Amino acid sequence: MILFLQQLVSGISIGAVYSLLAVGYALVYSVYNFTNWAFDAFMVTGAFAAFYAITLFALPFPVAIVLAIVLTVGVSLAVEVGAYRPLRARRAPRLFMMISAMGASMALVNLMNIAFGGAFRKFPQVVAGALVVGGVSISKMDLFAAVFSFAVLGLLWLLLERTRIGLGIRASALDTLTAGLMGVDNNGVALVIFGISGVLSAVAGIFYGAKYAVYPYLGLVTIKAMIASIIGGIGSLPGAVVGSLFLGITETLVSGYISSIYRDLFSFSILVAVLLFFPNGLLGAKTVDKL
Amino acid sequence: MGYLVTILILGCVNVIAALGLAVLTGYTGLFSMGHAGFMAVGGYAAAILFAHLKLPFALALPGGALVAGLSSFVIGYPAFRGRLRGDYFAIATLGFAEAVRLLLNTTYKYVGGSYGFTGLPQLTSLPVALAATAAALVLAHLFVTSQHGKNCVALGEDETAAEMMGVNLLRTKLAALFVSAFYAGLAGGLYAFFMAYLSPSMFGIGKSSDLLAAVVFGGMQSLVGPALAAFILVALPEALRFLLNWRLVIYGLLFVVIMVFRPQGLLGYKEMNADWLRRMLGRGPGAAGQRDGGGR
Repeated sequence: MILFLQQLVSGISIGAVYSLLAVGYALVYSVYNFTNWAFDAFMVTGAFAAFYAITLFALPFPVAIVLAIVLTVGVSLAVEVGAYRPLRARRAPRLFMMISAMGASMALVNLMNIAFGGAFRKFPQVVAGALVVGGVSISKMDLFAAVFSFAVLGLLWLLLERTRIGLGIRASALDTLTAGLMGVDNNGVALVIFGISGVLSAVAGIFYGAKYAVYPYLGLVTIKAMIASIIGGIGSLPGAVVGSLFLGITETLVSGYISSIYRDLFSFSILVAVLLFFPNGLLGAKTVDKL
Repeated sequence: MGYLVTILILGCVNVIAALGLAVLTGYTGLFSMGHAGFMAVGGYAAAILFAHLKLPFALALPGGALVAGLSSFVIGYPAFRGRLRGDYFAIATLGFAEAVRLLLNTTYKYVGGSYGFTGLPQLTSLPVALAATAAALVLAHLFVTSQHGKNCVALGEDETAAEMMGVNLLRTKLAALFVSAFYAGLAGGLYAFFMAYLSPSMFGIGKSSDLLAAVVFGGMQSLVGPALAAFILVALPEALRFLLNWRLVIYGLLFVVIMVFRPQGLLGYKEMNADWLRRMLGRGPGAAGQRDGGGR
């Protein structure tokens, strides 16, 4: 029982990191109908920025988080302006958007691989120790990651539901063209959305890097977030969170009770099963193209 | 074996795999990020058929390709069945390739796990590779100009309109994916019997990106374009060895630049054949029915 609770806590903390990424995907998808494949590169940017801020410049952890977020937002906005906006302006097919996003990701990730080298780096222990509650020991870093991630998601929810900017974003998600005609600044909305993406991926990158290691290809984990957002239903923000927690918890249970080797295989099987039996995800709207 | 022969054979392998991806991405408009996975399935299946089931090379090679083609239904059927968007499929291919690699990496019985599948003879000679490439090019041309190919182009342009014209979406997509995976599997088999060993690390995301690069650079709805690009992409890194580490960075930047400035790629929507040659000679450049790929 104690082992099970331990796994559950660990699963929630990794699920929280997936949530950040999956919500980022869902947000971009809900407005622009394409998967932002460059997300992995943003995540790696955040992880490296925080890592070097702490190890090289000896900055405190909160400052490192802020610095990483600022830098990642910058990269995210640069990709939006350079790689996505010209295509949107031309109303290019979705396939071209995907290829452009893929290109941005390849260029950035491999650039960082050359600049920093492919080694696995241990993230400095910024939050040490563990809480013991009724025999269950919870790593403080895990706890911090989960609380911080959900706080970020909560702020995002407030922004979307309670502010004028959020209203603009929701209007664009319903119908970008009409929202533009009604006076919503579409390029402004894009900057906000990709800015938010930058924040989410930076935080996810820092916590993932801190949990495992910092290396140029850590962005591969974004595939888990994509699977999570499919489980929840692509384009649905609550679905992204539910799917992420589900995937995070089941994955930890599989690696705890069966074998960590089969964890990723298991996630892929879940993806196939969800596509077969719940083609629109657990909470997703119907995603069939409208005329 | 000579240096030039090595490049020619590796070029042929890349061309065949890229032709497969061209049918899927260039013609049908489906984005695959995991074609290296189908190459791995084809290569390992051919190796198993040859080494464990003692089939002759001439049967093991197409047999491996067939297994790769059939394996594509594992993701094709769930992803296409519900009329889902291309993104689901792209994610599923990525997941498939990773799952295949993981499975091969951890299975030590029969396939050698992370040590790799060793002890294969080197049977892919230059004539074999050239003959396979020629056959692949001709068959791909026949496929894309057939009714099946036209269905693929139609649904790639507009799914709803294609369906209204009576195109069976699921069947057409599955057919395109099967052909595509079969080609990748064939390339994987040729690769296996040229390198004389297989290892899961040969089929990583980098390999999938290389194939995608060939199709993007070569152009949409073209076979000769991606084939040429695939060949150049093999020969070029050999010539520009000093760029080795920068290869993927440059590919990535070129993806963006091409999509922004010239989405049709090198030879997009054009085919180099006798007809094209005649038009070029007859009316001069620019008359060859150039189309803008952007306005959909």
